[in-house]
Amino acid sequence: MFGKKSRKQPKDPLVRKLMDIVGENEVLYLKEDLVAYECDGFTMSKGMPRAVAFVHNAEEVSQIVKLLNREKVPYIARGAGTGLSGGATPLGGEVIISMVRMKRLLHVDLENRKAVVEPGFVNLKLTQSISDRGYYYAPDPSSQYACTIGGNVAENAGGAHCLKYGVTTNHILGLEVVLPNGEIVEIGEEGIPDRPGYDLIGLLTGSEGTLGIITKITCKVLKNPQGKKTVLAYFDEINDASQAVSDIISAGIIPAALEMMDQTAIHGVESGAHPVGHPRDIAAFLLIEVDGIEAGIDDQMNEIVEVCKKNHVREVKVAQSEAERELWWANRKTGFSAMGAISPDYLVQDGVIPRTRLPEVLTKIGEISKKYNLRIANIFHAGDGNLHPLVLYDARVPGEAERAAKAGSECLKVCADAGGSITGEHGVGIEKKEEMRFIFTDEEIEAQTNIRAVFNPEDLLNPGKLFPEPGRCVEVKRAKAQ
Amino acid sequence: MISSDLEGVLPKEQIIHPEGEPHVLGNGGAQIIEVLSEEDISKVLAYANKYEKTVNIIAGGTKRGYGGTLEQADILLSLEKYKGIVEHSVGDLTLTVKAGTTLQEISEELAKSGQRIALDAPWPERATIGGILSANDSGPKRLLHGSGRDLVIGARIVYADGRVIRTGGKTVKNVAGYDMNKLFIGAMGTLGVISEITIKLRPLPKYEGLALLHFPNGDGENIRDFAVQILDSMMEPVTLEVLSPAMSEELMGKNAYTLAIAFEDQEKAVIYQENWVKENKPAAAELTVLHEDEARGWWMRFRHIGPNGHNDDDNEANTQAAFKIGTNNLDVIPAIETAESLASEYNVSVQSHGGAGHGISKVFIQGFPEDIVSFSKALRAKIEEKRGYVVCIHAPYALRKAIDVWGEKPAYFPILEGIKLANDPKRILNRHRFVGGI
Amino acid sequence: MMSVDEKKMSAQTEQGMPATLGNFKWNDLPDENKWADCVHCGMCLEACPTYQETGEEHQSPRGRVYLIKAVAEGKIDVNEAFSKPIFDGLDCRACETACPASVQVGGLIEEARGQIRQAMPLKGISGAVSKTVLKGFFPHPSRMHKLGGLMKLYQKSGIQKLARKTGLLNILPTHLKDMEAILPEVGKPVLGRYPEVVPAEGERKGRVALLTGCVMDVMFSDVNEATIRVLTHNGYDVHLPKNQRCCGALHIHAGDRETGKALAKQNIEAFKEFDKVLVNAAGCGAALQEYDELFRNDPEMLPLAKAFSEKVEDISKFLYENGFKRPKVEVKTRITYHDACHLAHAQGVRFEPRQLLKEIPGVELVELPDADRCCGSAGIYNLTHPDMAGRLLERKIDDIPENVEMITMGNPGCMLQIAMGVKKYGRSEKVVHTVQLLDWAYEKEKKEAENLVNT
Repeated sequence: MFGKKSRKQPKDPLVRKLMDIVGENEVLYLKEDLVAYECDGFTMSKGMPRAVAFVHNAEEVSQIVKLLNREKVPYIARGAGTGLSGGATPLGGEVIISMVRMKRLLHVDLENRKAVVEPGFVNLKLTQSISDRGYYYAPDPSSQYACTIGGNVAENAGGAHCLKYGVTTNHILGLEVVLPNGEIVEIGEEGIPDRPGYDLIGLLTGSEGTLGIITKITCKVLKNPQGKKTVLAYFDEINDASQAVSDIISAGIIPAALEMMDQTAIHGVESGAHPVGHPRDIAAFLLIEVDGIEAGIDDQMNEIVEVCKKNHVREVKVAQSEAERELWWANRKTGFSAMGAISPDYLVQDGVIPRTRLPEVLTKIGEISKKYNLRIANIFHAGDGNLHPLVLYDARVPGEAERAAKAGSECLKVCADAGGSITGEHGVGIEKKEEMRFIFTDEEIEAQTNIRAVFNPEDLLNPGKLFPEPGRCVEVKRAKAQ
Repeated sequence: MISSDLEGVLPKEQIIHPEGEPHVLGNGGAQIIEVLSEEDISKVLAYANKYEKTVNIIAGGTKRGYGGTLEQADILLSLEKYKGIVEHSVGDLTLTVKAGTTLQEISEELAKSGQRIALDAPWPERATIGGILSANDSGPKRLLHGSGRDLVIGARIVYADGRVIRTGGKTVKNVAGYDMNKLFIGAMGTLGVISEITIKLRPLPKYEGLALLHFPNGDGENIRDFAVQILDSMMEPVTLEVLSPAMSEELMGKNAYTLAIAFEDQEKAVIYQENWVKENKPAAAELTVLHEDEARGWWMRFRHIGPNGHNDDDNEANTQAAFKIGTNNLDVIPAIETAESLASEYNVSVQSHGGAGHGISKVFIQGFPEDIVSFSKALRAKIEEKRGYVVCIHAPYALRKAIDVWGEKPAYFPILEGIKLANDPKRILNRHRFVGGI
Repeated sequence: MMSVDEKKMSAQTEQGMPATLGNFKWNDLPDENKWADCVHCGMCLEACPTYQETGEEHQSPRGRVYLIKAVAEGKIDVNEAFSKPIFDGLDCRACETACPASVQVGGLIEEARGQIRQAMPLKGISGAVSKTVLKGFFPHPSRMHKLGGLMKLYQKSGIQKLARKTGLLNILPTHLKDMEAILPEVGKPVLGRYPEVVPAEGERKGRVALLTGCVMDVMFSDVNEATIRVLTHNGYDVHLPKNQRCCGALHIHAGDRETGKALAKQNIEAFKEFDKVLVNAAGCGAALQEYDELFRNDPEMLPLAKAFSEKVEDISKFLYENGFKRPKVEVKTRITYHDACHLAHAQGVRFEPRQLLKEIPGVELVELPDADRCCGSAGIYNLTHPDMAGRLLERKIDDIPENVEMITMGNPGCMLQIAMGVKKYGRSEKVVHTVQLLDWAYEKEKKEAENLVNT
């Protein structure tokens, strides 16, 4: 793209064919360039792609897909690669179709509250593009500074504010998709809801790039709330904080966000790039935000403060300025990465539980931490019971990565056993394929793979993701029988 | 072993052999089976699948006139008596309920804990949760609360071969595997029988208000301008429903276009927003404000307009039908105006309403069958000009083919058919009830 | 070739350092801990100008760190393909601001460049640039000053022959015309012309040393003059140690860490008797503050470098934190402020220069959108990567708000680059250094005071 290309001609004939479709400078094929595509935000699994092709429109995607079908070469669509479960990570030999150069904001229609974007458009930029007129795009995953909306749709991304406003699927009105047979189809044309037919938008959202490649997205946009109030509540006992979460919801209040962090996590974020100055000796804090009509906000907040007091809160702090509020959120949103400051590696899990089970599940996670002798930090969306246990480890210590993976998996088992799920917003990807068995039977998994087969019969599109390998299950059964 | 005879599958008392004329709305069955448990559903479907018997599904019967070009199937599977709350977790704001439970039964139970299902579909005492979701029915409050697809978090589905497959889970957030819940919402029972549903709840509002703005001059531009203004303000209306003059007449005795703006919030916030409406409304528009019980009562009457599967008239001149229209949000206003003008053109009477913030309108019409058919064709042609769609959600069996319930097949129809065959390879469930004859 | 390597390696082993790290086999190995901090989250992607332009993972900070790690793991070699993305980076450090885990991407890339330059010495035009400019001029103040003189002559007489003789045309291949048009009226360098100590005006508050810089002193000696006036006006004796040298930033950026270290040693020596070393060129300031990073594999120099780095401060931060004299007269003007990468991202100085400007009566500061996005100057990046530099410059000029009279900043590289943009895109804004504006306010104040006395 820039600088001079002093490159050897590619030896792989497939690369030439890809270049014929997208252009000479739009395909990466050197090992040194490809190695950067070995993994996404989930680093425990890696694979080398065969090539990376940058596409500019649906037609190019369609042509590439048809080419790869003919050649029987597997392929993956990739956005910014910030996913946390390996959804965009090659197993080895796939062609990566990079969507990042399809990054235009195509159309904004605020009267009808929608915006049309290309898949490589960065999440936060949508809000930035319409904020001067008082509108925003609600799903706000922590990676929103960099992640693309196409990736958000593939993963059905969540975020801190989905307690009140819902996750990505609740904000997608229409999609243009290249199907694995190369056909370009539009579903939910014009972003008009409830079109006759099965809800393919709902099915594709969160399908982790296994059913089609999204090339255009119609998103719902919302008007900014009139008022907003953010508080931090510091607790000396983690159970008190958990109980406060349930009590707030039971009191009939749906805050815009209700986040929690435990002591280990607090030490991490305070060593990171956006320290707030949280007391180091508290057991946990809640970060609570309410929004809506100003006239009603104080009443809501007072009720919340009362609930916290009943649960022995040490201190409640109200953000005094937008700058302070932003700092608190930066501290929270960069929480995972900040763990890099207190641990060389970490593994983030994404279990969900009914929020009333928080206290017991947190206790069990504490036990897992002791059992494996690994620190586990908890940063999570408490309001919707979405836990993010961060297992801290050092990959350079032999055996520690394996121990971390086991501890992580055990955390998920605890969530599943509490009536929850193994992932609330990060997706299954490569990481949690086997853990799918914690919550689904073989028949239930098959019901899903049957749907995949309708779209993606040859399984060339993002193979080996989402579902456990059938073979392994048989082996386990055999081992048991013996 | 599956018995070759249905009477060997379930006790006789649960099997009814209907007599007399087939139902005017069709979608009947040679035998009616009343299931009482998930196991019952499972047994019946396993039997039907094995012997390739077609199965129609029914509960409250409010959607009996919605789709379907078979007058009757081999079996009419009734979930009307398969009801009850399985689990209500107050602190988690979730509810698991059997499909045959009516919306009213659910609402009454939840109200005891200050909670609700945020679905304001019509005819709540008859419509069951399974039927509402299968038909993806909704009411004006979807503007703020969303529709079925936004609320369901899990389900147990009995597949065509009788297997029970769980989709989703019991947590409000969950992205494990495909979001299979979505497939069954609005699928008209063609992919499986919804047995249990787990759904997100909302707290009952602390306070409710309803501002009714009557536009005596019926100028669509005025309504549009005000809708745009309130949507662009920071007010948080729960509804922004436009009512046609005839609908307003029936509800309030006022023959004028009416904008029904509901607010649900802390009392202070509701009052503040009502005042905003008062201060910003067009001078000519007349404002009525209702609170709490009065507002709830008004909405309850609103939900009792239109066909319900049990109120069709024998008199041909009073044949009724209903349409669901999808448009861009603000095109709801011209859509309702179009229905008005076509009504006089085709000699049918029309009541209609639509959400200026969510794009879904409903049109209820009465008249002679052939006029209804002509009206429906003209309506669809007009709406499609602006890339909207029209679906017939109620019509007598005899008219449905002529009306063309679903309109043109979408370009991606093979995918829809593929999904159907993946779930129900023998096409036994609600055959020909859905798009493109699925 | 091999024997030289072996010598270096054995030298290292003697000091107890590992000799190699995967495919990094040369002197001064990169720091493993720097990539261990990176959790591959991708928060840096959109902060990176080269990623924004290309969307290529290996042209992002995360990708570069990953590539460096891949070499250390033996997955890829130190070769041309590895070198390209590592040298395509602007070294603007925007990623370091974005990084939640505080990964030192800039330092790591400089270390990797050091490895590359040892593995593959430069040839061709880039080699010539490096040799003529980086080795031939910057380390030698007298030659730099002579270059300044030649520039002056060149500007006045247009004798291109002379310019060619200096090798200038070789190093300014495509940019010559644009550059030539904006080269400032070259004054005389401060270093050597001013006494070694310029005494405080009025009450003496203390003493400081000033790094006069190379580009700054040759091209913008008026900024140095203004800096000295501002400091003395604020009550400081300003020391200009004669044996100070180029900071070495450009050499370190280019992977020539050896020259960088030699210059660093001389500067550490030159400033050793001072407690405070002030810098008005952000690039130089950042480099001086990172001498400890440069000597991380040299246990002997490391403590000295650390102690030195702690003494270094940007002029704007120093003035603000030491209660600079608030000007009393009005300078009526609308301005905007550009964050030099090495001030905002590398030194974290954003607030102080803005505050200095805002506290000058009459100055209206209009914020520049994305003020901390690189202007494309990036040391000599605009010479080695004119295409990318040009694109960034265009975006920068596009962002400049309407109706401002001046664009202020704290780095000579940015001043040259943005001045070029102003000219190229037919704009009329004046490009000035933050202290210049303060200086004008003080000077105006003095003049008014004089007038008052005289009348």
